[in-house]
Amino acid sequence: MLALFLPFFLLLLLVGMPVFFALVLSPGLLLWASGQERDIALLYRNVYNGMDSFPLMALPFFVLAGELMNRGGITTRLVEFSQALMGHMRGGLAHVNILSSMLFAGLSGSAVADTSALGSTLIPAMEKNGYTRRFAAAVTAASSVIGPIIPPSGIMIIYAYVMGESVAALFLAGIVPGILVGVGLMIVVRLMADRYDLPKAERIVSPGQIISPLESWVSFVLIRINIAGLLVALSSGILSLLRSTVGIDISVGGWVVFLVFLPIAHLLMVRLRRQVSHDFRTICKKAVAPLQTPIIILGGILVGVFTPTEASAIAVAYALVIAFLVLGSIRVRDLPEILTKAALSSATVLLLVGAAVAFKTVVSLSHAPEHMAEFMLGLTSNPLVLLFLINILLFIVGMFLDAGPAIIILGPILGPIFVDLGVHPVHFAIIMSVNLTVGLATPPMGLVLFVAASVSGEKVESISRAILPFLAVEVIVIFLITYIPAISMTIPRLTGFAQ
Amino acid sequence: MLTLLRPVAWMNTWLLRTMRQLAWMALALMVVVILAQVFFRYILNNALPWPDEAARFLMLWMTAFMAPSAMRWGGFVSIDMLPRALPRVPGLLLALGFLCAALLVLIVAISQGYNHAFGFGGKFNSSSLRVPLDWIGFESVRVKLRYMYLSLFVCVVMMTSVTVEMIIRTLAQLLNPDVQLPPDDAPLGVLGAD
Repeated sequence: MLALFLPFFLLLLLVGMPVFFALVLSPGLLLWASGQERDIALLYRNVYNGMDSFPLMALPFFVLAGELMNRGGITTRLVEFSQALMGHMRGGLAHVNILSSMLFAGLSGSAVADTSALGSTLIPAMEKNGYTRRFAAAVTAASSVIGPIIPPSGIMIIYAYVMGESVAALFLAGIVPGILVGVGLMIVVRLMADRYDLPKAERIVSPGQIISPLESWVSFVLIRINIAGLLVALSSGILSLLRSTVGIDISVGGWVVFLVFLPIAHLLMVRLRRQVSHDFRTICKKAVAPLQTPIIILGGILVGVFTPTEASAIAVAYALVIAFLVLGSIRVRDLPEILTKAALSSATVLLLVGAAVAFKTVVSLSHAPEHMAEFMLGLTSNPLVLLFLINILLFIVGMFLDAGPAIIILGPILGPIFVDLGVHPVHFAIIMSVNLTVGLATPPMGLVLFVAASVSGEKVESISRAILPFLAVEVIVIFLITYIPAISMTIPRLTGFAQ
Repeated sequence: MLTLLRPVAWMNTWLLRTMRQLAWMALALMVVVILAQVFFRYILNNALPWPDEAARFLMLWMTAFMAPSAMRWGGFVSIDMLPRALPRVPGLLLALGFLCAALLVLIVAISQGYNHAFGFGGKFNSSSLRVPLDWIGFESVRVKLRYMYLSLFVCVVMMTSVTVEMIIRTLAQLLNPDVQLPPDDAPLGVLGAD
């Protein structure tokens, strides 16, 4: 009897019942029908226990940090920075759109926020530069899916919590796939630029850039610390390589190496300074402070200083400092509205996660994963073919359901099957996350398509047609990630966050 | 039908506005509490026992205060292809069916929530939270787990009230296609954290 709850749940979902109610109604009704009324209390308590979690707190904090960054005028700076780097290329503003999405992904972790923030700035600019509106909207929607792949990522926090994985490992595993999606999209733009003669743009939109003395000094210091830190990381990698291959063991304190590299970083910057214009330099300086967010989050987690939850709170504090003290772009009276918006977005997801934990308990009681595994292994026992089939299933689900709820529903059912087949849990998490995230931009129900349509004023149908070449590349990237585990697993393994 | 709807809508608008105010304050406090923990743990090397639990307490209440507003504004995710594709009356009837099913779930949840909050488990003290009345010369009071459990109970009670309002709204639309419904206080913008 209990095994029936899964088809019943799917039926409720397909006819349009809100996911939260379908997640609790289907197991509840069948527990009641099979005379297990006492377990209904367990179902309720599991919803509560599912929400009562410290690691899950990272979700509202990252949403809040993204909201603060967005409202603080950081989007414009990232776009200006991307344009200074890539605007002069053929199809310049399309490249700028993609690069801005990759940078924005390090701040927000939400495809919807990415589309609405970048779309409102870049779609009119692209139209003015000679692109069609539907092409501009399609590039914005296609590139916004990078948001939840490059850390921080809301859906990865949800997956990690529901499936008991490490948030840090998932964050690190998402870096290369996210960059790969971005590079893939840029290749499509490059090919289209030749074919359709896409225009170039100016690298500097507004000449005579100015920066406040305080921000100039903050950027001056931060960029040198960043470069010195990067050199320390590189040197420690080379030293550990020497230790493992040649057997040479050079032990030098991290702080000593950092202090040695700091003047080197300064000399590098002085040399670079002579080769670029004043405006270019100012635009780069203005992007330094916002781009510290992913460095703080990942750096803190990697060095073991913060837990992901603490890192997310630090990201909020940093966003506040930047918005209030450096940029002066947010006032205290703006805060209630920003906090309300972040709380509203988070509350629905947190409630859904609670329901998913209750649902997962009944999934285990019903032995549904075992039945599902038997069914799937009946089709084929080859994990590679199964992964192909699962990618198609996820892609179809992604067309109709948002990434978060889809992960909440499918993670507990599919995760155990593939882990038993020998797929690494982190690798499977990335396959699911990337696939379902791409689904956000897939017709007919992709959420970001609707957001892009509302931002651009273009019809969803015409954006859906224009986005197809970009989706094709994203599908290729999904298969690369699926069949080459090293793409996602190398960084977590090198940093010791995955075995 | 409108005579019935107006007072329910007014009550929900008023209560949910208050709850949203409390929700953003809870989120702000969560940030402060976690940052205080980071400061004490990493700067002063003296971790406090209560911030983790206090932040969870606040997160539970933030969710409880905000989820009913999200429900009222259609922020609960669903695959709405079928309801959109249906003509007006069958679409409204389907929505009514969902709302009645939701009401059933919420009524069961209220009864379970009451037992959860006011039952045996709720009488236990929280492991680290206390009201520091000793600061003003009284004895400090340990916080009962009931005050955390109550968050979900309050959430389902308010979601029930919202569901009742939505049922009346749907019935009013079914009976009169041109009915002027009272506002639901919804802001402009998109919900979702994907």
